[in-house]
Amino acid sequence: MDMYMTIENGAFMVAFAFYIISTLLHLLLVTKIAEKVEKGALLSALLGIASHTVAMVVRTIGAGRLPLSNQYEFALSFAWGIVLSYLVLYLLYRISVIGAFVMPLALLVFGYASLQSKAVRPLMPALRSGWLTFHVGTAILSYGAFALACAISVMYLIDEKRSEDHRLLKDREASDILSYRVIVFGVLMLTLVIISGSIWAQKAWSRYWAWDPKETWSLITWIIYAIYLHLRLRRSWKGRSAAWFSIIGFISVVFTFVGVNVLLPSIHSYA
Amino acid sequence: MRRPFSKVLHVVASLKVAIVLFILIALYIVIGTLIPQHGAPQMYLDRYPTLGKLILTLDLDTSYSSTIFIILVILFAINLTTCTLLSIKGQMRQQRSSFFPVHLSSEYALTDITSEEAHAYLSKKRYKVVEEEQGTLKASKFRWGVFGSTLTHIGLLVLFLGGTITQCLSTETMVNLMPGQSRMFQEQGFVLRVDDFHMTFEDDGSVKQYISDVTATDIATGETRSDQMWVNKPFRYKNLGFYQASFGWTGHLHVADQESKELLTHGDVRAGGTYFHEDTHTTVYLYGYYPEFAIGHGQQPISLSNREINPHFAVVLYEFNNPVDTYIVEPGDEITHNGIVYSFTHATAYTGLLVRSDPSFPVILASFIIILLGMFVSFYCYPRFILYSEGKIITSSRRNEWVFFHSVKKGFSDRS
Repeated sequence: MDMYMTIENGAFMVAFAFYIISTLLHLLLVTKIAEKVEKGALLSALLGIASHTVAMVVRTIGAGRLPLSNQYEFALSFAWGIVLSYLVLYLLYRISVIGAFVMPLALLVFGYASLQSKAVRPLMPALRSGWLTFHVGTAILSYGAFALACAISVMYLIDEKRSEDHRLLKDREASDILSYRVIVFGVLMLTLVIISGSIWAQKAWSRYWAWDPKETWSLITWIIYAIYLHLRLRRSWKGRSAAWFSIIGFISVVFTFVGVNVLLPSIHSYA
Repeated sequence: MRRPFSKVLHVVASLKVAIVLFILIALYIVIGTLIPQHGAPQMYLDRYPTLGKLILTLDLDTSYSSTIFIILVILFAINLTTCTLLSIKGQMRQQRSSFFPVHLSSEYALTDITSEEAHAYLSKKRYKVVEEEQGTLKASKFRWGVFGSTLTHIGLLVLFLGGTITQCLSTETMVNLMPGQSRMFQEQGFVLRVDDFHMTFEDDGSVKQYISDVTATDIATGETRSDQMWVNKPFRYKNLGFYQASFGWTGHLHVADQESKELLTHGDVRAGGTYFHEDTHTTVYLYGYYPEFAIGHGQQPISLSNREINPHFAVVLYEFNNPVDTYIVEPGDEITHNGIVYSFTHATAYTGLLVRSDPSFPVILASFIIILLGMFVSFYCYPRFILYSEGKIITSSRRNEWVFFHSVKKGFSDRS
C-alpha cells in the first residue's frame, strides 16, 4: 500500500505542477503572445492529465476499486473530467483559448483535492454497489460538462465588451451554441446521476428519494438547467442571458459538490 | 363562452407559469435544505428568534410535506398536464408526412448549393426527401421527435403519480431481531425468521458488510424461502422489502444468588435496556457493549471497532431508582449487590431490518425510462426540415433552429 501511495503522490504532484504551468500558459492565450505559447499550454495540459491518470490508476490498483468514493477521490476525478472535456473539445473544435478559463477551474478543483485526506479507506457497506461507478461516473461527466459550459459562457460575456478583432472567441454564435450543446450533454448526464442515485437509494435505504441535501441540491441544479433549456428552446433565449444562466447553474453545481458537504449535514457527506 | 376558457387554459399551460412554479419550488426546497427539518417547534423559536414563528407558520420545518409545497407541486402538475394536452394536437399534425413548415426564415439559409450536393448531403444524412416541381426538394428527418418534450412531460407526471402513491400507500416499520427470533406479518400471511446475523470486517476493523440470513415461511402453505441479505441487497417477499438498516448488541445476563450460587434467571438485555430484579428493587442498566473496548479522550468507554477482540460491558446499577454504582466488566465478571450476583456472559448482535411496502416503485421506474427517452429524443432527435430550391438550402427545426442550421452548415463546409 505504501508503494502505491508513494507513486500516487508522486504522480499527483507532477500533475499539479503541469496543471499550474498549463494554467499560466493558457492564461497567456488571451494575450498577444498566444500563438507562441499555445503548443506549450496544450502539451502541459496533456502531460498533466497523463500524470493525473497515472495517479488515479495507481490509486485504483492500490485501493482495489475506482477512486470515486470520498471528497478527495471525487475531486480528483472531477478535475480529471474537466481537463478531459476541455481536451476533447479542443480536438473537436480546435479552440484552445477556452483553456484559459477551463484550466484555472480544473486547477482549483485539483487544489481542493490536495487539501482533502488522501488516506485510502475501505468502502462503507452502503457504497458497495455496482451503481457507485455509474452514479459517480455520470456525475463527473455532468459536472465536467457544466464547468466547460460555464467557462465558455464567461468568455462569451467578456467578449461582449470587446471589439471583433479582440474577441476571445471569434464566432460568438458558435460559442453560444457550443455552450448550449455542452449543457445539453451535462443535463442528460445529471438526469442519469439523479435517476441512478434514486434506484440505488431504493436498494440500499428502501427509499428512492429522501430529500437529503445532496440529492435536493442536485434537483435544484437540474431545475436551473431545465429553466435554461425551456427558455432557450421555447423562447429562443441565447447570448447574454443564456450565458448568465449557465454561470448560475455552475454555481449550483459547485455548491452541490462542496457547499453541501461543508455546510449541510447529509448522508452523502462522504462524497 | 369558449374564448375566455381557452384563454385561461393557455395561461395555465404557459411557459411563464411553468418557470414561476419552477422557481418557487426550487426556492422552497432550497429553504428546506437550510432549515433543519422535523424539529420540535420550540427549537425553531429558540434558534431563530425573529423568523421562528414565520418558519412554523409556513411549515418550513416540514418543507417537503407542507401544504404550500404540495400545492406548488399540484399546480406544476396541472401546468404540465395542460401544456402537454394543448401541444399534442399540434405535434400530431407536425408528425404527419404531409406537414412541412410554411414560414422558413432566410436567416437559416445556405446559398450556392448545387442540386447534386443537396441530394448527396440529404441521402448521406438519411433524410426522407420529397421531390417537387422544378427541382425543389423537401426533406425531413426525425418527425416523430416532435413528441420528445411531451414524453419528458408525461414522464414527470408519471413520476408525480409515483410520488403520490408512495405518500398515500407506502408503509415503513423497523424490526430488530436476534438470530433465532421471528416476526409474524399477519396481513401478508408469513413469518420471517432471522437464522443468523454477522458482520464481515476489513483489515482496519471497519465493517465490510452486515449480513442477515433469513427464512420466510408462508403460513397458509408452509412453504419456505431462505436468503441472505445485506446493505444493497434487500430481501423481498410478498410485496414487502426487508432492508439491512442497522444492528445492535444484547448482553446475556445471568442473575444468581450470592450464597447458594443458584441461577435465578437469565436472559438477553439490549444495550440501552434494563433488567429489574423485583426482590431487591435493583435495576441493571446495560449502558453499552464495547466489542473492542478502549477509553476515549473524554474518559468515556468507546469501541475501536465492532470486532469482538476485547469485549467489555458498561453497567449501571440502580436501587429504588437511585444510582448505586457504574461498572466496566468483561464477559463473566460478577457484580454483586444485595446478595445477588449479576454477570453478563456474552453478547449477541441483533439485526435491524427496515420493512417497507411501496407499490410505487414500478411506476417510478417507468417514469425514469420515459423521462430519459423523452430528453434524449428532445435533445438529439428533434424534427429537422430542409427545403432546397434554386441553389438555396433553408433549414427549419422549430425548436432548435440555430443549432440545426449550424450543423447543416458545418456538414456542407466539411464537404467543400
